[in-house]
Amino acid sequence: MHDGVAAYVLGVLDDEEHEAFERHLDVCARCQAELVELAGVPDRLDELKREPSASSGDDPPMSMSR
Amino acid sequence: MCPVLGHLDGRFESADAEAEHRIAVLYQEFGGPLLRHVRKSTGNDLQWAEDVVQETIVRAWRNSARLQWEPGLIWAWLLTVARRIVIDGRRRRSVRPHEVEPPEVDMLAVPDGSERALSAIVVADALRSLSDEHREVIEQTYLRDRTISEAAEILGIPPGTVKSRLYYGIRALRELLRDKGVAG
Repeated sequence: MHDGVAAYVLGVLDDEEHEAFERHLDVCARCQAELVELAGVPDRLDELKREPSASSGDDPPMSMSR
Repeated sequence: MCPVLGHLDGRFESADAEAEHRIAVLYQEFGGPLLRHVRKSTGNDLQWAEDVVQETIVRAWRNSARLQWEPGLIWAWLLTVARRIVIDGRRRRSVRPHEVEPPEVDMLAVPDGSERALSAIVVADALRSLSDEHREVIEQTYLRDRTISEAAEILGIPPGTVKSRLYYGIRALRELLRDKGVAG
């Protein structure tokens, strides 16, 4: 169960597994500590997901894609 | 220890009043930082980001036992909840989710001169220095907005294997990024 923490942090678990992991998290100090450690990693990966053309300044106009 | 939400029992005339107070405190403590964070994931779509923050706060309120955690853990959990909501939203918004493939890591051209570009290069380098097995599961899940099950089907390996490789891959990536000074 403990190795689900990475998938949980990334948000790639199915709904059922996501909920099961949260119940585990409530009682697992080890996974709580790892959640804190890994919580910043998805943000770093997001830097690869951004389109190069969309990575201009910090306050571009509001997205029209909604 | 409860730094965020004190022991409120008996201080409110009704459960509704107490709930309202708890949500207000949550917004006060986490709303601003969370909104700034979420906006990066919504492409600066402020309305969408505000909706995500609102839903995150409501989920936190529904799971109020977790608000007894220490603030660093609450924050990590809120980020995770918000990210999940953004990903679900993106999946729903995406008309043809699998027709537009994100670029491979090697093809990621980033503009020169900005801090973000530099950081993206460092992250891409770190990803390249992982083992093939570790890099592959990170690419086939998070970087393509796919679940473990979807990636398992594409890779032809059991979901448990994807999950386990993802764990060791993400840990290794985090170590590399920390060594390079860009860990979150």
